[in-house]
Order: sequence, then structure tokens, then C-alpha cells
Amino acid sequence: MPLQLNPSSGVPLYLQLIEQIKHAIETGALRTGDQLPSVRQMAEELMINPNTVVRAYRELEHEGVIELKHGSGAFICESIAPRTKLMQKAHSVVQQAMDRLESLDLTEDEIRRLIENELGRRRSRPTKKKYTW
Amino acid sequence: MVENIIEIHNLSRCFGSKNALKDVSLSVPRGTVFGLVGENGAGKSTLIKHILGLWRAEAGQVRVFGHDPVSNPVAVLERIGYLSEQPDLPDWMRVYEYMRYMQAFYPKWDVPYAESLRAQFGVDRNARVRVLSKGQRAKLGLLGAQAHRPDLLLLDEPSSGLDPIVRNDILTAVIRTVADEGRTVFFSSHLLEEIERVSDHVAMLHQGRLVLYGPLDRIKAQHRRITLRFETPQPKAPLIPGALSVNGAGREWTVICNRQRSQIQSLTMSFGTEIVGEDAASLNEVFIAHANA
Repeated sequence: MPLQLNPSSGVPLYLQLIEQIKHAIETGALRTGDQLPSVRQMAEELMINPNTVVRAYRELEHEGVIELKHGSGAFICESIAPRTKLMQKAHSVVQQAMDRLESLDLTEDEIRRLIENELGRRRSRPTKKKYTW
Repeated sequence: MVENIIEIHNLSRCFGSKNALKDVSLSVPRGTVFGLVGENGAGKSTLIKHILGLWRAEAGQVRVFGHDPVSNPVAVLERIGYLSEQPDLPDWMRVYEYMRYMQAFYPKWDVPYAESLRAQFGVDRNARVRVLSKGQRAKLGLLGAQAHRPDLLLLDEPSSGLDPIVRNDILTAVIRTVADEGRTVFFSSHLLEEIERVSDHVAMLHQGRLVLYGPLDRIKAQHRRITLRFETPQPKAPLIPGALSVNGAGREWTVICNRQRSQIQSLTMSFGTEIVGEDAASLNEVFIAHANA
């Protein structure tokens, strides 16, 4: 795993490790169900104290980010982080669309009817189109 | 099973008129890495020799695995793996003879493991110790310290003057020791990057006294580097109560302090200065500040 820790930084190593694992999950480098290296492997790879890894893993487990299965290892939990970011993006799209509709002087009921109609139309469509933002 | 592998209480020792150690107390919990720093001559090696039972405590008490290493050397030494700067190895022996020789001292010596270390380190089994390079001698010493899987790995500035590859081997030995449940490491070093990388606890000796002692993260969090800007340029380092060290010139001066942040902040109100920067101090800065304080 390409993690970069800086022992000389003012941030404790275990916190740096937590942040980097969370970042890996947010960017999709680590996905739900992926297994993290064992404490020993992680410590040897990063050249840090195994106690530091244990502390980071325990904190991540406490936060519900990973699950420690006794005997098997550490696994990434179903994470809400990617969904939250998506929702934030979607919200801004909706806001922009609403702004433009309002500038056309439509009433709230007219806007709602438009959206319901469009949703209905898409439901009955044979293939689903995927938009990239 | 003891909770603290090493317990030192009020240890003092003089060499003639010189106070090598003054009232030193520390504990090393099982399964942790303890890093000891200090200038040359601060007393690090003297402290380690007390742990090995080479020196008897003149005042105070030393307990290793719950035993006094002076009165109970066998119980202590067979569980310790020791490596010092420029290890004292029998020059006339061949490497494989040295390995057999070490095996005789340690009931827990693991022959296949020792051989795998030798192969990994790339030390020729037939070479005489006297022809080995400095780095290879260090590796052989490390092999001897590790192969019996000691409960305590005791290292006295093991990385001094060695290339990064050997330093890596030493650090790996430290990590692997702790990764094996219940094993402990105590090492002294000048290489603060290594200390910061692997230590759970640190202590700093200065002229025989312990000036710092505690969990690494806590010590680093407590030491702050604060940059002050003065209204008028200062001709020399201003006296700032609560500061461990003051460096700079003219209007801007940088202070290293230990938990005195609020004291320094309240002082700036009266001195006509403002705080223009603040950050966690690096271990290097902490070390220098305490050494010069």
C-alpha cells in the first residue's frame, strides 16, 4: 500500500495512518470488504512500531471504518463516505437547476410536476444512461 | 510475569568526581519500544551497562525481569539480546564458529532462524570475523542479539556510522521484536528520525539527569515552536520566561517551550510582541533546546 508517513511531523504517526487509510477509502483505492495488511505486515512495510498500527486499527474500528475479525484480519466496512460526497455533488446540481427554473418564473407546483414527469419518463425508458460529472 | 521489563529507581553513579548518573528513574513496560537520547557523555551507555549488570548501582535500584542483574546475571542475561556500537566480536573466529559459540550461551537459540538471518544479511559463513566490514560486523552482532528471540532487545547506539541498509536491518529487528507479543526493546540513538519512527516512550539524559521522560506523542505535543515578532529589533536574545530556547535576530525570535505556551502568550501582551507563528516542535529542536537550557 503506497502510504507515506512522516515521523518528524507534529502529527502523531497513528493519526497520520488513520487519515491515510480514510483517504484511501474516500478515493476508492480501498473498497468495502478489502483486507488491510496485518499489524505485523503494516509495521514492517511502513517501518513503524506495531503498537502504532494497533492504535490506528483500534481507533478505525471504534469509528466503524474497519472491522477486526479475530484470527482473519482487518476489513473495510461498508462506508458512507463516498455516498456522502456524491450527495453533496448532486445537491449542488439540483440547486443550480432550481435557480434556472425559478428565473423562468415557474411556480413551485409547476417545477414539481416537471420533475415527476421526467422521473416517470426515465422509469419507462428501456436502457439506463449514466452521466459522468 | 512482570509488567515492567526494566525498572530503575533513583539510580546514581559517580566515576571519581564526575556524576555519570544522577537520580535516574524510569520504567519500560513489556511489549514497548523505549528510546533513549542524549549527547555524548550524557550517561546513556552507563545506564545500559547497569541494565546488563556490568555496573552495580551505587545508589538506587535496577530491576530487569524483576531481578537484580548484578546478583542474578544468568536469569537476566540469557533473556537479553545486546548490541552496541562497534560490537566486540572474537576476530579469530569464523562466522559459523561464532554462531555456534553464541548458541552455547542461549538456551532459546533458534538455529534455522539464525541461519536465515545470516543468509538475509549476506554474511559469508566461512569468513573470519576480522575481515568483515564495519557494516557486516554490525549485522553479525545483530544476528547474535536476535537469534535467541530475546525478551529484551538492548541496543546501545547500534546504527552509529552505518549505511542506510544496515540501519534498516536494525530498525526491522526492533519492529519484529515488538511484533512478537510480549517482547521489548530498549535502544539509545543519536538518530532522532529512528527514535521518532519506532519509540513508544522516550527519555533524554543530559549530564546524567533525566530531563525528559514519557510517551513520545505526549512529549512532541507538549513542545511548541512559537515565533514572536517584536515591535523594536532586539540586539540580543530577549529573556523570555518559560522558554527553553530562544533563537533569531532583529524583530523575529523563535521560542521552544514545554507546556508553557499560555505563559508565553500572556507575556507577549506586556512586551509589545505578537505571535506570528506556532507549530509543534520537532524532536531535533526539543533535543537541542533541552541540551542547551
